[in-house]
Amino acid sequence: MTSTMNDSATSEHPTAGRENVFEVKDVTLRFGGVTSLNNVSLHMQRGEILAVIGPNGAGKTSLFNSLTGVYTPQEGSIQVRARAGDSPSSVIGLKTHVVNRLGVARTFQNIRLFPALTALENVKVGIETRQKSGPISAMLGLPRQRREERESSERAYELLQRVGLERRANDIAGSLAYGEQRRLEIARALGTAPGVILLDEPAAGTNPAEKRELATLIQGINVEDGISVLLIEHDMKLVMSIAHRIIVLNFGEKIAEGTPEQIQRNPEVIAAYLGTPADEVADLDLSQPELHRIDTDVPLGELVGQTPAEAADQHDRGELPR
Amino acid sequence: MNRSSSETLNRLLLCLAGALVLALMWGPQEGNFGNYWFAIKESLFGPRVLVFLALGVLAFLAMTFWPRVVPFLTRPGVWPMVAGALTVVASQTLMHWADQVGDAKFGTVASAAANTNGLAPLASAFFGGLCWAMLVIVVLLLAAGIVSGLRNFGWAAAVLSVVSAVIAYVSHSAVVDFVGGVDHSLGVYVCIVGYLVLLTAGLVVAMSHAQVANTRRAVNQALGWRPGLPLVLIGAVLGAISLATSTWFSPANRNATLADTRNLFRGTGLAPIAVQYLAWLGWTIFAISLVLSGVASYRRIRPLGWAGAALGAIGVLLTVLTLYRISSIGADLHVDSADGPWQNLGAGGWMTCAALFLIGAGGYVAATAPRHSERTVEVDSDAVASGRSASGAFLTAPGAVRSGLMVAIAVALFYPPTANGFWQSVLVSEIGIYVLLAVGLNVVVGWAGLLDLGFIAFYAIGSYTTAYLVGSLPVKPPSWLEMSPLLAIPFAVVICLLAGLALGAPTLRLRGDYLAIVTLGFGEIIRIVAVNADGVTNGSQGPQSQVPHPVINLGPVKITWGLNQLQYWYLLLVFVLVVVLAFRRLENSRIGRSWAAIREDEVAAQATGINTFRVKLLAFAIGASTSGVAGVFFASQIGFFTPDNFLLNNSILVVAYVVFGGMGSLPGAIAGAALLTWLPEFLKDQVPAADRQMWIGAVVLLMMIFRPGGLIPARRRAVELSGFDQRQRLEPVAVPAGEGL
Repeated sequence: MTSTMNDSATSEHPTAGRENVFEVKDVTLRFGGVTSLNNVSLHMQRGEILAVIGPNGAGKTSLFNSLTGVYTPQEGSIQVRARAGDSPSSVIGLKTHVVNRLGVARTFQNIRLFPALTALENVKVGIETRQKSGPISAMLGLPRQRREERESSERAYELLQRVGLERRANDIAGSLAYGEQRRLEIARALGTAPGVILLDEPAAGTNPAEKRELATLIQGINVEDGISVLLIEHDMKLVMSIAHRIIVLNFGEKIAEGTPEQIQRNPEVIAAYLGTPADEVADLDLSQPELHRIDTDVPLGELVGQTPAEAADQHDRGELPR
Repeated sequence: MNRSSSETLNRLLLCLAGALVLALMWGPQEGNFGNYWFAIKESLFGPRVLVFLALGVLAFLAMTFWPRVVPFLTRPGVWPMVAGALTVVASQTLMHWADQVGDAKFGTVASAAANTNGLAPLASAFFGGLCWAMLVIVVLLLAAGIVSGLRNFGWAAAVLSVVSAVIAYVSHSAVVDFVGGVDHSLGVYVCIVGYLVLLTAGLVVAMSHAQVANTRRAVNQALGWRPGLPLVLIGAVLGAISLATSTWFSPANRNATLADTRNLFRGTGLAPIAVQYLAWLGWTIFAISLVLSGVASYRRIRPLGWAGAALGAIGVLLTVLTLYRISSIGADLHVDSADGPWQNLGAGGWMTCAALFLIGAGGYVAATAPRHSERTVEVDSDAVASGRSASGAFLTAPGAVRSGLMVAIAVALFYPPTANGFWQSVLVSEIGIYVLLAVGLNVVVGWAGLLDLGFIAFYAIGSYTTAYLVGSLPVKPPSWLEMSPLLAIPFAVVICLLAGLALGAPTLRLRGDYLAIVTLGFGEIIRIVAVNADGVTNGSQGPQSQVPHPVINLGPVKITWGLNQLQYWYLLLVFVLVVVLAFRRLENSRIGRSWAAIREDEVAAQATGINTFRVKLLAFAIGASTSGVAGVFFASQIGFFTPDNFLLNNSILVVAYVVFGGMGSLPGAIAGAALLTWLPEFLKDQVPAADRQMWIGAVVLLMMIFRPGGLIPARRRAVELSGFDQRQRLEPVAVPAGEGL
């Protein structure tokens, strides 16, 4: 039902023809009677920033969990080729840490740091999963272990500088502010030297200034480090400004795929966000006040990106509404 | 008005109820036939209950007026005052003061002294009530100083503390001399320590500049003023006392000081070096090392510090050599039927060793402490002032932690020889072994966060492995494999490691409570197998023949264990030190951080690339092998053991030690195990046998209420408990498919 839109999107995209980081084919994920992902197919190209949007409960985080091996979909296939030159491997059935070692790093929607460790130690944990020294060399303090320890400290400090947290290196992660914790999570994910990084709502709960910094950071990761970025985000301004391509999920199904401009114009997407059947969207009277505003002041997503449930979430967190 | 008065009434009733509970705890616990109410009648209807009710009223008054006291609690000197006063009170109520008098407790000694004519008047006065009067006056002076802020009260309290300590010491000596005989009581020393703490409080009150500073900052400033100097000062006091007045040699109820010993051994063919030591060398080394280390720490001159450290070490060696020579000759002459060296020695020599060790350690600390310019800004920052440094540590002054460690090592090295046989065996078979077990379990429970309730099983496996390898079990090892118990250590380590893997591999996929239940079952399985596999383990009888004591025979050096407990103690000490050093490195390595990570958030740890299963298995294996080493020690030290030594109870006790000490903290695990194994033995003399567990329970309970992080909380854990953990739980935690139940 969305085929025409898809085809045009891929052919127009500047990175078309490059190899794919993820190739997801017909993935279905069920929890008992609830179908979380229904026959989803998508692909992600090397070097792109791909955003996944959709209303709450659309299956975005389930998709992330399937891509990283936390959930095992019942049907379909997921091929990953995180770093250039890797041979493709199937994610399905692999343990989470194995998927991570294939070069897939991620952050979490509800921040999951190691709160009792310092910021520096959090990043070091990520870096050190790639190191080899074992318990014996640690207990004896062998030269190799010391060298690795020094290397990981230096690299961790670099990464903290990268996300602007070098001053808080020795503070306990749990004591950092919300936005800082989000950036620390990104630094920890970068520590595992990924080929692709999956960011789950990195801008949730951050203020406008932090959002701008975040956009710069994500683009930096993408361009300078050459890391492909898969992004879940509700902040449409951010998504529209940095994403190369956007995939829209609704009720576990992919309803649209394309460049930001295409998505903003897509009637099915507007329908999904407004909760109106697609064929009625065309007939909508644009002189209605709400929709008029969409057309004029704000990019489409800005208004529709915030569902009532999300606003309630925000309220629960004690934040000001956006 | 009405509401507050009913609150006050509630509080009063609560206090009185608490007082009655305390009265019941203190009284006898059993009824007897024909008089089932004996215990309750005795506790609640005797005149003694009035004392407890008065205590309850006091508590009530304290609580009611607490808000008015609170502002003064942050002033410097409050906590040393409380600690010192409690120490003195404890020494004058619970502890022994003279071994030869009745049950040796303070009360008995005091009434005996009051009824004795011919005792020195000062001692009569001290035991006749002066002891309490002095304490009350010192505390009142301190309180006045703290409340009014007048420094002279502080100075007066400090001077009076010193005077009181001296009076206590002199009075105690007078009583011991009067009664005669050898005395091992510790009461007076604890009392002196209490007064020294009160002295600190007095000095803090007298010298603190700010009205409202806090004790932690004052202590850190005092310790950081001249790193190493506190150690040197303790060493100086200890050395002067031990060289001048303490007993060095005590045959046949005689207490010979250093000078007496020299006269005693004149013409007995004592080695020249020992003669010289007794005559002048001891004093000289003490004096020179004192000057070296003292100047080094005061002027911050590093080379002098190293020289002081070296001379201190030489002094310790010479002292030990002299003690060996003296006691060898004593043994040759069969003084007091001595049959080997190290017998009939007094505490003086060992105290001198400790003093020289501390002086040397002071030099070492001075030599290695960061200089003024190198010091971190942190030391004087607000974080420390507010008592909340980034690391949450109490001691932040340079060299302070190291100084504390040195004192601990000095006590561990030189206290045991002066203890009596009972305490020596407690040190080895309880404290030493359980410290090793607690350090091992700390890896599993504290660092990796896996609750293991069957830990004692690995200890059992270690013990049975040793029994097998020395040929004490019905199943004999091949003859080429039979060996001395010490050589069994690597085998026990490997076998426990394998057992840890065998238990862990199928069960570590479980989480939390499920894992606890499975390990509990494993512990019981091992014990029941040991009871029932008659052909292999000799069943409930334990090994058939004694597990022999180890012997090291290297030509000129021959060490035989088992002659007395001390040899095992020092061997254990070496092992504990090695294990602790290795584990400390492990904690700060990538492995240690991975453990912390999976404990904090397993899903995030997996997503960061940690193979959680492997890392958990590693924790299990390392914990198990440490426990195996403890098993080898246990088997060879005790000789005979039965499966009853490996009950579920013991597993739970080890968990309790770790939790009590502070989960995930190495010094905590050591302190927790040492304190909780020492306490029951200490209480043996103090309370009725049936009450012991109750008192220990009360201690653990109070600890968990007021200090939930444990005795010495781990930095990484302290954060979790302080509520820094602000993780949001917006979505249900994603449990990976196939994990959990």
